[in-house]
Amino acid sequence: MQNPVYTLFRRLRSPLIVLILVYAVSIIGFVLIPGIDDKGQPWEMSFFHAFYFVSFMGTTIGFGEIPYAFTDGQRFWALITMYATVISWLYGIGVMLSVFQDPVFLNQLKKKSLIRRIKNIREPFYIICGYGDTGSQLTQLLSKEGILSVIVDPEIDRINELETDDFLVPPLSLCADASQSEVLQMAGIEHPWCKGLITIANDDNVNLTVAIVAQLLSPDLRLIARAETPEAEANILSFGANEVINPFETFASRLALAFKTPGLYCLYDWMTGESGKQMKEPPCLADGLWLICGFGRFGRSLYDHLDDEGVKLRIIESDRSHRDIPSGSIIGRATEAPTLKKAGIDEAAGIIAGSDNDANNLSIILTASELNPDLYRVIRQSSDKNSHLFENAAHEMLMHRGSIISNTIFAFIRTPMLGDFLRIVSRFNNDRASELVSKLIGVVENDEPKLWEFGVTSKDSPALYKALQDRPILVGDILQGITQYGSQERDKPISAMPLFMKRDKGNILLPEDSRNIRAGDRILMCGTQQSQHHMDQVLSNHQTLENVLHGREVSSSLFWDWLIKRKSSD
Amino acid sequence: MNSEKVTFAFFIVLALTLNFGFFVGEMNDPGQHNVYELFAAIVVSLISTVLKVGDRSHLGAVFLATSLVADLQLIAAAVVWGMTTSVFGGVLDGASLATVVSLSGGALLANFISVALLVSDTIAVRR
Repeated sequence: MQNPVYTLFRRLRSPLIVLILVYAVSIIGFVLIPGIDDKGQPWEMSFFHAFYFVSFMGTTIGFGEIPYAFTDGQRFWALITMYATVISWLYGIGVMLSVFQDPVFLNQLKKKSLIRRIKNIREPFYIICGYGDTGSQLTQLLSKEGILSVIVDPEIDRINELETDDFLVPPLSLCADASQSEVLQMAGIEHPWCKGLITIANDDNVNLTVAIVAQLLSPDLRLIARAETPEAEANILSFGANEVINPFETFASRLALAFKTPGLYCLYDWMTGESGKQMKEPPCLADGLWLICGFGRFGRSLYDHLDDEGVKLRIIESDRSHRDIPSGSIIGRATEAPTLKKAGIDEAAGIIAGSDNDANNLSIILTASELNPDLYRVIRQSSDKNSHLFENAAHEMLMHRGSIISNTIFAFIRTPMLGDFLRIVSRFNNDRASELVSKLIGVVENDEPKLWEFGVTSKDSPALYKALQDRPILVGDILQGITQYGSQERDKPISAMPLFMKRDKGNILLPEDSRNIRAGDRILMCGTQQSQHHMDQVLSNHQTLENVLHGREVSSSLFWDWLIKRKSSD
Repeated sequence: MNSEKVTFAFFIVLALTLNFGFFVGEMNDPGQHNVYELFAAIVVSLISTVLKVGDRSHLGAVFLATSLVADLQLIAAAVVWGMTTSVFGGVLDGASLATVVSLSGGALLANFISVALLVSDTIAVRR
């Protein structure tokens, strides 16, 4: 990185030399030209006086104070040097102003200050490469949670857009190509507070390159990438990315889950969906013919996943030259009623409008609803700007690529254990999944459910960590209710349940109440906002923890301890 | 041949020679130290400083540092000269002149380091 100060000085080199030379010549002139003092005696200006005179003349300050009145020879020389010094000053100032207006120079200055700001970050932050629809949603979500992000995007328009957007925690932005290792280093990939790198550019190749560079620069960094083809997904996973999100695959596999195990669909939808939403009822997808409009990447993923579940499918694709379309597909425009009729819309159970054109998808759904009002309608939304249109169009399920990616990534950032938990849970059968869902609903009741995790460490849960050194504590112990002062009975237990526990390399799914907690464990919890708050108290406050463990108020001072002991021994 | 290099070397060497010219002679004999030579040495030294500013190389940084030292010493010498002649009394006596000359001697050393660096750099670049 070039230092902007050097650039400034290099450009100022010739004006400065001109200035020095003009001054030198002017001073020499005044020293050499003979003058006359007030008594009419010959007098020569010393260097000191000459420099003094030229200084106030050159800067156009123009004191009238001169030791003695000038002779005509001196006036002649003053006339010349007056213009020469003023011109050389103007030249220098002009060059300086032009340097400060130079976009390249300004960019250097900006980069320099950004690098300094990134260096001075003293809180956990994430690097986000790519600020499109997805990137802006994710940044919004992170800033709402109070997490700082550093954004890298090569397009200046997007960076300008970011600067005008309103954020709770304003992100830092760098306009550069993230696939260069230098840029990632600038963005702070090796910074001790950098928690992870998220690469969500539109282009799979960019994401792949960024992932490789990131992996080489700091192998232990948490890496979350977006990929839109199965090949890129496998490739990025192969060199150690923590999570790869393919929006089409993600949605298609969820939809397949909705057919096979609706309970799991609910779980996934809620855990990786928009935060602060209540858990939805499982969708009721009828068996029967399903129409998929569009056979691009999305249509193909859908076809593969739903076909595996044994759903009867029919593709409608307008592009005749499309290769490997399954047999029995209809070629034609799905936006037109005759095509839909030909595809058997009258007997169909559901329709998926999955082309990459928002207007077409809306039109498909409108036409299909007229032809068959009982259809289950799934619609794909590509652009963020059309959100209000999609809100107005009647549909049962919406596939919005940007939200799927940003919500999923956000969920993985907030609770890193979620990825492993969902992978294990995905093997559940419907009964087990439904049981888990009803248990969760029992815990959170009508409140908004919330996921969080904590580690049994001196930093995350100081009170618990300390107490564990004296005696064993069970999972069930810390979930017990608090006993209020003077009361004999405990409050209701904390409305939260442990979902998942990591101990060294082992995973424990749904740890029972009778399981021991050990130092170093990480636990994923599910509950309400309030219960998370309670739990924080129990984990970090020594007194609250003792209260919960013993079922009575414990004081913090020796005096109160003594008083209470005396009282109880009476 | 590179004209930029010629200018650069010219000013560095000229700064040294002018400085040397002022420095040689009896320490306290005003007849052997010319005030115009001191003035020229300062101007050339300032120009060579400006030429060195903005060079990113390690050698450039050392050039800049030595040049700044020379400027500082020469300007200090000029200030002592100006103060004695114009502010206190008006006669440059032996003691003040000795201060001026010794200050310029320090600048001479700094300029000498500059030239030594220049020569070693030239030798390091074969052909």
